[in-house]
Amino acid sequence: MRVGTVIGRVTLSQTVESLRGARWLIVSPFTRQQFQERNQLPAVSAEPSLVVYDDLGGGVGQTIGFIEGREAAMPFEQSTPIDALNAALVDNIFYSPFK
Amino acid sequence: MLLARVEGSVVATRKHPSFEGWRLVICQPVNLAGQPDGSPQVAIDAYGAGLHQPVIISSDGAAARLAVGDPKSPARWMVIGIADEKEPGVLV
Repeated sequence: MRVGTVIGRVTLSQTVESLRGARWLIVSPFTRQQFQERNQLPAVSAEPSLVVYDDLGGGVGQTIGFIEGREAAMPFEQSTPIDALNAALVDNIFYSPFK
Repeated sequence: MLLARVEGSVVATRKHPSFEGWRLVICQPVNLAGQPDGSPQVAIDAYGAGLHQPVIISSDGAAARLAVGDPKSPARWMVIGIADEKEPGVLV
């Protein structure tokens, strides 16, 4: 799981049958710097942004934890073409960099 | 599997039910010199890894699903052990 800030949303009119009605978020992943000073830095990081399937109801500006890879499709009944999933709405981050 | 250093933790109330009761620790992958290498990953932790402790994290989703006991869990990264030495007598 990585942590990122929701910077936007996407909607699809034509979609794979199993993904009809799904919510999609555009997420900018946290870099190490962002963990350290996330209040000072802009929400959009140097890391490439990605689209994340969302069934927890994340909103723009929120911090979420998202799963990447094959594991993102595991909660679905049928096989689904998903490789990023919102798995947690982050309430609080405790971070203390080493050195 | 990556050598990483625990640099914090994440608290989330609304999450996939399989993460209920698990510690979520922020693990910064490091190189042999101990310098940060790559972006931080959040892993489930059963061993109570402490702040700034070196750990090994695994991206094996099948093992993580087994650990949380939910075959439909999206869990992927997990702490599989706390690292002591990188060579005899030299701490990580």
